Amino acid sequence: MLNVIDYVPGDTILHRLNPVTKLTLAASIIAATFLADGYAALIGLLLLTLLLGAYAGSASRLFSLVKVLVPVSALMLVLQLAFVRHGEVLWLFITTDGLVSGTKACLRLVGVALPLVLMLTVTKTTDLANACVEKLHVPYPLAFTFTTALRFVPVFTQEMNAIMEAQTARGVAFDTKNPLKKLMLMLPVCVPLLVTSVGKTDATALAAEQRGFYLRTRASSYRRYPFCARDAAAALVCVALIAGGIAL
Amino acid sequence: MQPTEQPIIEMRDVAFSYGEDADRALDGITLTIAPGSFTGIIGPSGAGKSTLAAVLAGAIPHHFTGQLFGATLVEGQDTCELTLTDISRIVGSVNQDIDAQMVASVVEDELLFGLENFGVAHERIDETIAAALDAVGIADLRDREIATLSGGQKQKVAIAAILALAPRVLVLDEPTAALDPVSSRMVFDVLRDLNRDRGITVIVIEQKVALLSEFCDRLLVMNEGRVALEGTPHEVFAHAAELRAIGVDSPRVARISNSLARRGLYPAGTPCLNVAEAASLIARTVGTGAPQAGEPGSVPAAAPRTGSPHAPAPRPHAEGAEPVVRFSGVTFAYPGGGASVNNLDLAVYPGELVGIVGQNGTGKTTATKLVNGLLRPSSGSVRIAGVDTRDVPVSEIARHVATLFQNPDHQLCKNTVRDEVAFGLELQGVPRAEAVCRAERVIERFGLPADEAPFSLSRGQRQMVALASVVVTEPAVIVLDEPTSGLDYRECMTVMETVREMAEQGSAVIMVCHDMEVVSDFAERLVVMADGCILARGATADVFADAALMARARVTPPQVVELSARLAQEVSPAFAHETEVSGIVDTTVALAGSPAPTADPEEALRA
Repeated sequence: MLNVIDYVPGDTILHRLNPVTKLTLAASIIAATFLADGYAALIGLLLLTLLLGAYAGSASRLFSLVKVLVPVSALMLVLQLAFVRHGEVLWLFITTDGLVSGTKACLRLVGVALPLVLMLTVTKTTDLANACVEKLHVPYPLAFTFTTALRFVPVFTQEMNAIMEAQTARGVAFDTKNPLKKLMLMLPVCVPLLVTSVGKTDATALAAEQRGFYLRTRASSYRRYPFCARDAAAALVCVALIAGGIAL
Repeated sequence: MQPTEQPIIEMRDVAFSYGEDADRALDGITLTIAPGSFTGIIGPSGAGKSTLAAVLAGAIPHHFTGQLFGATLVEGQDTCELTLTDISRIVGSVNQDIDAQMVASVVEDELLFGLENFGVAHERIDETIAAALDAVGIADLRDREIATLSGGQKQKVAIAAILALAPRVLVLDEPTAALDPVSSRMVFDVLRDLNRDRGITVIVIEQKVALLSEFCDRLLVMNEGRVALEGTPHEVFAHAAELRAIGVDSPRVARISNSLARRGLYPAGTPCLNVAEAASLIARTVGTGAPQAGEPGSVPAAAPRTGSPHAPAPRPHAEGAEPVVRFSGVTFAYPGGGASVNNLDLAVYPGELVGIVGQNGTGKTTATKLVNGLLRPSSGSVRIAGVDTRDVPVSEIARHVATLFQNPDHQLCKNTVRDEVAFGLELQGVPRAEAVCRAERVIERFGLPADEAPFSLSRGQRQMVALASVVVTEPAVIVLDEPTSGLDYRECMTVMETVREMAEQGSAVIMVCHDMEVVSDFAERLVVMADGCILARGATADVFADAALMARARVTPPQVVELSARLAQEVSPAFAHETEVSGIVDTTVALAGSPAPTADPEEALRA
């Protein structure tokens, strides 16, 4: 089972950028998405993200994420349509202003989610954590917590699947079509999941401490993450993106 | 080797309890670990083995809290006065849960973590990683994602990550619990090389006694927080009666030699620990006896089959009865790849206990999921009690098929044992009052605490609760996926005896199990799988006796089968196809001539 945020191996410029630069680039696209107000800019930024994804070989991941986001943004569109009451009435409760602000909200939602995921698919989490510790002076325990949390996502998903399978085999009707009923059935199952997670987290903490976790300093990392020319170039792109976002 | 230097770890009258009112998990442990030794620790669950490992590795008192008495010295320094980090420079430990032990997602990063933290000079890191991976034989896995590795490979990564830090002692808590026999042996081979070539002291907790006794030079038997027996494996397994009382399994060959020793055919006190030792012992015993090998005609009749308590009694399933499980041409492949199965044909009748054996990843678990409906065949059909699994939801199939999973924690979800056991019945639509009543009966039979929360019980007891909730539904088919992993010998026997009773009452049992001793004791019919296909099927004894088939499926036959094949070849054909300890013993006795009073005064006295 593949995770949307799993690392996609590759050797593109995007892969080779400093993790901190990638983080900045993603943040700039997000900032520009918030600042921009025109359809052209919003769609342009979204296209930029998708093109970068295609270049880095993680387009399929982005599309699978878009598939998840479509129902969410549809819901958002409906809400916007219902609550924005000014502007000309087009049909029933739909107004022109509502349509404009609703579609823009949808574009923003997708535009904000994608760059972060793209950044994670082209960066190994350990590299990201180490670079943040080295360049941004993020405290290591915080970075470790972050990488561990990401690493635990698939572990707990597997655990949850195993629990659901075991319960289904006992006769709990997890195979019901009714999502509300399924949710009600899932609640008691969270107890065993919680019990295992607490145990696993404690075991990981012990294992980390037994391998010198508390000795670690900013200088410990074996890999170094120097900035180079392409990072400077990327920084210029970031500035341009934000400036463009403000202007358009 | 028997080093005489100062001990590397010394425990002086150590006691520990996890809370003020809790019972003592350790109670007056005094022991010394010599540098360069290979120590094995065995004992029933709840004996304090993992607690002992935690004390040795410094996790007690630095990570787990409780009341600690006595002193533990690592290289002469009290662990209470050192930090956990300092202790772990000397003592590296590998814990039970291998996934939780990992701190990174790529093998190389996993090794880097400790090296970076302990400040190993950066120019030496690369060679250190290469050397550690090489030492455990996984140099090719360096850039792999840990999530994509098999259990055995992960275990080796965990060992390599500790090894890279060059500890002087390695403490391992049940490192092979989740592994098949082939991978288990590979892990032990690695440990032996590290011990022999690098002089690393190894301390390992293990349930697989036969495997452990081949590798360690010293064995500690723990019981109720104390060291009950201590010595070389030969010395320890000579105490057959004590071990049985404690609830520790002995290697089957040790049972044979102890049994022969009781009959006076062999001096007591030095049991055999492997097939080679037992074969040469029996060859000598028989060789000194009257009838020589090569006179098969005189022998078989002389071997009265007393039948061991573990022998799978043949259950005559009604002639012409309908099979309750029928696979016809079943094929299934996971979309993302994985253990697929091809064209399986299988019929299981009521009252049968069928074992499925094969290496890890050959589709055994996939086959069990096809039975309980969690998976549906992509072609072919699976019929349970006449119903095609594709036509009904899984929760419907659950009325006929009950599954006992490897990890009971996935199955348990209620607040008390009573609710837990009754839950399965309620799901089938049995009224609450009746369900509770039936649950109470089963709980009483199993001797479980009805009002306790399942999660507060020990691992073995949780497995018993899970089993109780299977038994209470009186299913037509029982599916067992590694029912005995993580259980000690006594718990394992209780679980399997219960399963056998269920079969006798007419349930069809399908069991996937790595422990070939358990399979040979309880299954009457075997299905051998390799690469998603059924290689062979037949009566348990015949399948195990087929050496070529066993090699092809990479299954290690049980010790007794291996021994009888060897004896049949080297000593006398009378040994062929023996699958039980008692059978080998009786044949040996018969071949050696009935107890000769002159040669055997003790036996004569006893008679």
